[in-house]
Amino acid sequence: MRERDTSPTNKLRDPRDRRLPRIPDPCALVVFGVTGDLARKKLIPAIYDLANRGLLPPGFMLLGFARRDFGNEDFSELARKAAEEHSRTPFRDEVWDRLSASIQFVQGSFDDDDAFDRLAQTLQDSERSHGIGGNAAFYLSIPPAAFPTVLKQMERTGMASNSDSGGWRRVVVEKPFGHDLKSSRELNGLVDSVFGADDVFRIDHYLGKETVQNLLALRFANTLFEPIWNANFVDSVQFTMAEDVGIGGRAAFYDSAGAARDVLQNHLLQLLALTAMEEPVSFDASALRIEKLKVLGAVSVPDDLERYAIRGQYEQGWLAGARVKGYTNEEGVPKDSNTETYAAVRLNVETRRWGGVPFYLRTGKRLPRRVTEIAVSFKKAPHLPFDATDTTELGHNQLVVRVQPDEGVTLRFGSKVPGSLMEVRDVSMDFLYGESFTEGSPEAYERLILDVLLGDQSLFPRNAEVEDSWRVIDPLEEFWADRKPEKYRAGEWGPKAADEMLARDGRRWRRP
Amino acid sequence: MSTLWDTTGSDVVKALSAERRSAGALAFGLALTLVVVTDQQSVEEAEKAATAAAAAHPCRLLMVIRRHSDAPDPRLDAEILIGGRLGPGEAVVMRMYGRLALHAESVTLPLLAPDAPVVTWWHDEPPEKIAFDPLGIFADRRITDCGRCPDAMAALQQRAMDYAPGDTDLAWTRTTNWRSLIAAAFDSTSESPTSATVHGPTTPATALLVGWLRSRLGVDVDLSETRGNDINEVRVQLEGDRQLILRRNDSRTASLSLPDRGERIQPLSNRDLGDLLAEEVRRLDSDEVYADALSAWTGVEGLSDRSPFRTHIWRDPAQERAAEEPESDGDRARAGQAS
Repeated sequence: MRERDTSPTNKLRDPRDRRLPRIPDPCALVVFGVTGDLARKKLIPAIYDLANRGLLPPGFMLLGFARRDFGNEDFSELARKAAEEHSRTPFRDEVWDRLSASIQFVQGSFDDDDAFDRLAQTLQDSERSHGIGGNAAFYLSIPPAAFPTVLKQMERTGMASNSDSGGWRRVVVEKPFGHDLKSSRELNGLVDSVFGADDVFRIDHYLGKETVQNLLALRFANTLFEPIWNANFVDSVQFTMAEDVGIGGRAAFYDSAGAARDVLQNHLLQLLALTAMEEPVSFDASALRIEKLKVLGAVSVPDDLERYAIRGQYEQGWLAGARVKGYTNEEGVPKDSNTETYAAVRLNVETRRWGGVPFYLRTGKRLPRRVTEIAVSFKKAPHLPFDATDTTELGHNQLVVRVQPDEGVTLRFGSKVPGSLMEVRDVSMDFLYGESFTEGSPEAYERLILDVLLGDQSLFPRNAEVEDSWRVIDPLEEFWADRKPEKYRAGEWGPKAADEMLARDGRRWRRP
Repeated sequence: MSTLWDTTGSDVVKALSAERRSAGALAFGLALTLVVVTDQQSVEEAEKAATAAAAAHPCRLLMVIRRHSDAPDPRLDAEILIGGRLGPGEAVVMRMYGRLALHAESVTLPLLAPDAPVVTWWHDEPPEKIAFDPLGIFADRRITDCGRCPDAMAALQQRAMDYAPGDTDLAWTRTTNWRSLIAAAFDSTSESPTSATVHGPTTPATALLVGWLRSRLGVDVDLSETRGNDINEVRVQLEGDRQLILRRNDSRTASLSLPDRGERIQPLSNRDLGDLLAEEVRRLDSDEVYADALSAWTGVEGLSDRSPFRTHIWRDPAQERAAEEPESDGDRARAGQAS
C-alpha cells in the first residue's frame, strides 16, 4: 500500500480520530462502457452511495465513455435511474443534484482517435473547472478484447502517465483476467506496460465483501481458531459458490469460458488462499500478497483428474417453482456445447500446515439456491468414551463461514440430547452479521471503488496471483478439453459424479 | 410484548427471558446494552432516537424513566418488547417511582446483556457529576448532551471538570460532519494555517469545533457569535493572506472555497438525534480527540490521564432539600438506611 502523500501534512488528521472518514484526493473516475450492465447495476449506484455517505472528495468528477449516442443530459438521466434503482442507501435528490453537476459523458468508439482526444481534453479542462488535480482512475468495464485498443489510446494521449498528468493515474480491470496462463500473461504485460504495475487494480468483488475480510479477523484476531487451523485437526475444507440463476445474457462470453474460468480461477481460489495462508506480518497489501502467493504456489492438482475433477452441465428442470431451460437450449448457446456450468475439484495445499487435507471446491449455475460459503470440517475425536450407539448422530465439528447470504459464522459441535439416555447430536452456534452489526455494510463495489481512489491495494489480487491461479486451472481445462461434461438437472446440487467424488473419500458435500 | 404493573426487578428478568424464548431470539447476537435515562416529557423523543440507534447496532435497550422521586412508595412499571416498537432488538421500558428512582441500578444491573459493553445516555440534563448516578458507574461509555441543559456552556465546562475517559457529548458528535469536510479540505492543500474563526451561536458544538481546531492546528481560533441554532461558517487564514472558507448554505449543503480552486458545494446535512446516537455507539473506547478539544476550549488539562473508572457518590435530593428545610429529619433517616 502506498502511503498517501497528503496525510502527514494535514494536522487535522489524527489516527485516533476514527470518526473522520478516509476521503480520497480530488480526482476523476472515468468509466469505459458506462452504459453496460455492470456500470448501471453496480458502479453508478456505488458512486452514488459514496457521495451519499460523504466519502467523495470535494473535487470529483464522473466521466462516462461509451459508444452510444448520448448527450450529457441523456447520460445523467440514465445514471440517475441506475442510482435510484440500485443504490444501497436511500435516494436523495439533493445528493444526486450535486453529483450530477460533476457528471459528463464523452461519446465515441474505442478506435476513434478524436473521441479519446476529447476525453483527454475534458480531463485536462476539469483539472481546473472541477478541481480534480491531475488525478484520475480509469474503470475498464469493457470486454477484454477491447483492452488493447483502449489501452493504446490512453498511452497515445498520455492519459495513463503519472508524470504527464502531474497526479496519479490508475486503472481498474474486471475479470476475466485472460482465459489461461498465457493469455493472462499477455494481458497483464499489456496493462502493466501502459500503467505501472502499482497502478493496476484488478477487481475481484468477493474480496470487497465484509465476510471475506472478516475471515482474516476471525483467524488472526482470535486465539480460538488458529491453533487448530491445520492438518492435525482439520479433516477437510469445502468451498461452495452456488448460483440459482442461469447464464442470463452472457451466453457468448460464458460459452467460451465455463464455470472453472468464470468462478474457480478467481473467487474460489482467492477464498482458498485467504483460508489457507499463513499469518501475514501486517495487513498491508504487499504482506498479504506474499502470503497469498505462497499458498497459491503450493496448491497441487490431483493426479487422478478422472475422479477428482468433475464438471457438469445443467439440463432442463424445475427451480424455485418454475421450469427452466437446459444449458444447451439457452439463447446463444450452441446445441452441442461442451462448456461446463458446474465444476468441482479436489485440490491439495502442499505445506506442512495442510499436508494431506483435501480442499474441495465447487461452483455451479442453476443449483437450488444462491449461496457462497467456506466449511472447515474438523477431525473426529480420536477416542469417544461413549457407546457406539450414543454418538451415531454426531458428525464432524464444523466451522462454516457464510460469505453470502445470511453473512455470518456457524460452529457445529455435539451436544447431549436432554433425557435419561446419553445421546449426542450435532447442534450449532450461530453468529449472524446482521444481528451483531446491522450498521449498513457497504456493498463490495462501494468499498473497492473507494480503495481504488484512495490507492489502497490490499483487496486487489496482483498479476502474480492471477498467473498462479491459472497455473492451477490450466491442467484442469486441458484435461476437460475433449471430454463431455456430466449432466445434472437444473435445481439439483450438481452431477452425481461430484457426490461420488466425495463418497470415494468417505465424505459428502455439505448441504448449504 | 408484555406489560408489568407495580412489579419487581426479578419479574422483569423472568418476563424478558420468557419473551426471548417465545420470540425464538435465543441466539440473538447482542453487541451492547444501551441504557437511556430520560424524563417522562421527553420519552417519545428519546425512544425514537434509541430505536434508530438500535437499528444500526443491535443492542438490548433499557429505558429508565424516573418519576416523582418524592412519591411515598417506590414502584416499578415495566414494558418488555422484542422486535416491536423499539426496533429489531430487545427493549425494556421501566418507569421508576419514589425512592426506587435513586436505586435504578438495582433493576438495571441484572438486565445488562452478559459481558457486553454498556453505554449510558442521559437524554436530558446529566447529573452534575456522573458519579452521582449509579447508571453511569457501570457504563463503559457515557453520553451526555450539554445542548439540552439550561446553561449549556456552563454544563460543557462542568463536563470537562468531571471528565473521565469514555465520556462523550452529543455536542461533539454534532461537529463530525464539519470536521470531516474541513479535514478533507486540508487533504488537498499544503498551506499552513495562521489563524481561524468559527462563526456560530455560542453553543457547546461551536465551542468544541473551536477547541478541536485549536488543539489540532495550534493557532489562534476565535468564536464569532452569530444567530441561529447551528454553526454557520469556518474560516481558516492561510499563509499569504489566503483563506479556506466552509460556509453552510442550507440544512443539507455547504460551500467550500479553497484558494485558487473556486467554490464547491459539499453535503452537510443536519443529522437527527438517532443518527448522532448511532455514531456514538459505534465506538466503545474512549475518544481522546474529544478530550483534547474539550480541554482546549475549557482550559481544563490532563483529561486523558484521568482514570476511566468512577466510584459512586451517594447523593440524595431529599437530603439536600432537608438540609435547606431542617424540619423533615424523618426522611433523612430513611435515606440513610436506603443507601
